[in-house]
Amino acid sequence: MIQFKNVYKSFGDKEVLKGISFEVKKGEILFILGTSGTGKSVLLKNIVGLLKPSRGEIWVDQQEVSRLTERELFPIRKKCGMVFQHPALFDSLTIFENVAFGIRRHFQWGLEEIRKKVQECLKAVHLGEDIELKKPAQLSYGMQKRVSLARTLAVGPEVLLYDEPTTGLDPVTTNAINLLIKELSEEFHVTSVVVSHDIQCALDIAHRIIFLDQGQIIEEGSPESIMKSSHPLVRSFLEEVV
Amino acid sequence: MVLRLVEDIGGCVQFVGQVFSSVRHQKVSLHSLVDQIWNVTVQSMSTTSIAGFFVGAIMTVQFTMQIQEFGALAYLGGLATSGTIREVGPLLIAFMLSGKIGAYTSAELGTMRVTEQIDAIRCLGADPIKEIIFPRFAGIVISSFFLLGLGLVMSVWGGLFMGMFFSGINMDEYLRYIPRIVNWGSISGGLFKCFVFSVVLASICTYKGYTTRGGAKGVGRSVVQTAVASMVGIVVADWLTSFLMDVATQIYLGV
Repeated sequence: MIQFKNVYKSFGDKEVLKGISFEVKKGEILFILGTSGTGKSVLLKNIVGLLKPSRGEIWVDQQEVSRLTERELFPIRKKCGMVFQHPALFDSLTIFENVAFGIRRHFQWGLEEIRKKVQECLKAVHLGEDIELKKPAQLSYGMQKRVSLARTLAVGPEVLLYDEPTTGLDPVTTNAINLLIKELSEEFHVTSVVVSHDIQCALDIAHRIIFLDQGQIIEEGSPESIMKSSHPLVRSFLEEVV
Repeated sequence: MVLRLVEDIGGCVQFVGQVFSSVRHQKVSLHSLVDQIWNVTVQSMSTTSIAGFFVGAIMTVQFTMQIQEFGALAYLGGLATSGTIREVGPLLIAFMLSGKIGAYTSAELGTMRVTEQIDAIRCLGADPIKEIIFPRFAGIVISSFFLLGLGLVMSVWGGLFMGMFFSGINMDEYLRYIPRIVNWGSISGGLFKCFVFSVVLASICTYKGYTTRGGAKGVGRSVVQTAVASMVGIVVADWLTSFLMDVATQIYLGV
């Protein structure tokens, strides 16, 4: 479904991604782990064309996305929804308007249909209709993250890209969000690519894990094979959960 | 430094081009445009009124000192109002907007950038330039005309107040020569300057906000750069428009 072929990305003199190649299969939950500043978020943003690779190719469903214009990226962005590190909700809009934002741009639906879809998406992330008229600032950070996920779901993506979905959350909410990622993957049959630091969650719900260090893949495999890895960085991550 | 300045000016001009081309083929939300015009106008109304009132008063004091020894106090109202419309009014409105709306817009857009709201708009299938930049840009330009009108009305009141209590002339005397001295030339000159200054301000604050990088520190940097660049830009634009208007007048008069 998604394929990286020898992708390089530089910002000025700094090379962030150095020859990344991997594949994500349909329906898979792939976790990308690594320390801060190793290029995990950059990698994710390249999939939806928010950043362009310096070299290499990125394929999403038989389409090479790295050379597409903003207008040509429109269907790719509908197909691949992104959940950002920050909730990135629009402060001036209500929760209803936030979730409906993408729907209004992608579908020619009436208000009743939009309302139904918004309620369905809020329910999917375990939020009630009572928050629809609230502004983002009136919700807790964890709830804002869920609304952000609902907004992405509303467009009906086939792939969900999560950029550190549990950063800044307490352990209880972190657990709830992780379970939600698994639930959504099973319920809506979406492919999930999750950038995270959370090794425990990766071992619990991922089908496959990629470890990134200094812009390169240092380990790749199923949770079981990652557990047996002898790479020092992977071992130091694993020490957290052992 | 010169290279960075040229790069900044080029980037800003290119950005304004993008703003206008974004609305060429796509419908702009009238609701968000009206919302922006309303926000800018309401937010700046009180400061523009107060500043307008005192500018009128200052102009009256200055002109009184110059013209009373020639016994020409009857022209005081006309001269003070004309000076305000042609020069001080548009400049004052632009500075007021720069300090308040320019900084606010830059900070708002900068925050949207660093909290990934702008990326989210792109990911949800919308064009951020059309959705958030154009309404703010147009809002500043259109509002500046309303604010100019308000500022001028208040400056006449300020001038009148000062004329009565400082220069010792009555209301009829103050207002009598305003229609004769304030002609269409000065009004259109004032409107032209107002338009140019607001375009300069809107371009700088939206560009600086939209291109913010680097978290909270980056937002702060953008706000400071907006304040400095817009003040300098407005003063340079004032010189340029004064020069162009002078050339146009000379051509018109056949001098």
